[in-house]
Amino acid sequence: MDRRRTPGLSSLTTRGLQNHHYTAHGTVLRTRNAETLQTQLSVFQSLLHNFALTHAKDIRANPAFRAEFARMCSALNIDFLASSYHKDGKDTKAGDGSIWAQLLGGSVNDFYFNLGVLIVEECRATRTENGGLISVSDLRTRISRGRAGTIGSSISNITDDDIKRAVESLSPLGSCFSIMKIGHRSLIRSVPKELNIDQSTVLEAIQLLGYVTVSMLQLNLGWERPRTIAVVEDLMADSLVWVDTQAGENEYWSPAFISAVGAGMG
Amino acid sequence: MTSVSPLPGTPQPPSSTPAINPSTFQFPPIHAFPPFYTLQPNPTTRSSQLSSWSSLIQAYCRHNHLFSLTLADALSTPLFSNTTISRKLSLRDAKAIVQWMTTAEGGSRAEWIGASGKGGKGGTDGEGSGRCWVYWRRPEEWAGALEEWVERTGQKGTVLTLYEIVESDATRREEFWGMDAELLTKSLQICVKRGKAQVFGGEGSEGVKFF
Repeated sequence: MDRRRTPGLSSLTTRGLQNHHYTAHGTVLRTRNAETLQTQLSVFQSLLHNFALTHAKDIRANPAFRAEFARMCSALNIDFLASSYHKDGKDTKAGDGSIWAQLLGGSVNDFYFNLGVLIVEECRATRTENGGLISVSDLRTRISRGRAGTIGSSISNITDDDIKRAVESLSPLGSCFSIMKIGHRSLIRSVPKELNIDQSTVLEAIQLLGYVTVSMLQLNLGWERPRTIAVVEDLMADSLVWVDTQAGENEYWSPAFISAVGAGMG
Repeated sequence: MTSVSPLPGTPQPPSSTPAINPSTFQFPPIHAFPPFYTLQPNPTTRSSQLSSWSSLIQAYCRHNHLFSLTLADALSTPLFSNTTISRKLSLRDAKAIVQWMTTAEGGSRAEWIGASGKGGKGGTDGEGSGRCWVYWRRPEEWAGALEEWVERTGQKGTVLTLYEIVESDATRREEFWGMDAELLTKSLQICVKRGKAQVFGGEGSEGVKFF
């Protein structure tokens, strides 16, 4: 066989032909791949569709189930909250905007958006009292107690998980609302303010008893007195703690404990 | 402490005697929050605290059917002191709260008794006495309630004595039952100003006619 590559004109055409074949084959492969994925996706969607249809009621009614469903969705990288942002725009066209809006009648999205609105309202209402920092559990009790009648029964059995998700759904509105963890409690921050390390430490210490005193902080954290006082005064200036002067040494209480002590006393 | 005068004619005191009811009054959680009894230095927190106090005082008075408070006496009642957490409000702070309630910011939900002028600085003598009206309904609202009651019971054109209005069995179930004569007169004067009523008769035997 003649293995010598011919530098003639014919080689140009063969190479062009080869290139063409490669591209054509590539396209075929790509389309096939895409088709397979498409099929997989549609199979998955129809499965999810069936699942959601059979369990729509549970998703709406059962908070634990809803949380699991939401967790599954986020594990599969599906944000059913985000998918409904385009709901209005696409509904008019093919109606394929948000599969969740179709599957669940929009009620799961709406559920979280409604909850988000309630959270904003509650945070604003209590801001003067707690300086814009409210614990998730406190917020939950407030919402389920105060608003049960207005929105409907579905809002009355909410979990902390729902609240977290609803707060996340508020993120497109700007970074005003976020969840922060202090100690073992989750708090919702509704003022755009960063706490420094000292302030967080003190707030964390408050979680233990509900209050701190300057000497307690000095003893446990090994801080100098001026530093302790400065931090506490800062927190007070931000309405994040309330002072109680009737206990001998001034006690600094977290307003997050207003409901807690009330519940404790019965 | 209470403004409800003892009534010899009534066999069974209604659910307005303070001694009976404090147990049933559901105090809000903040009532068990120790710093609630210290006026907060931070203005934002303080205004939140003041409005919490205001609504607590109003709710408490409404529940116990109190129309006025004498602060010095009221300080030891469950309203201003919480024995469970051994906290109580000081007289000075209580006065500050009531003073705030008298302002427009506080919704004019209180008024010092004996204050010479409403708008001026006449609060000094009233504040000194430590007695105040608690307006869980403002006099204008009481006037409205009275007019509504007259309308509802078809007593337009009838001459009513003040005693009938606030102390008879017929009004036992009304919110204004047991109201101080002074506050009643105040409210009736508003009805008069609105052209809805006419008050006549001398001191102690006034009658009122609604139309």
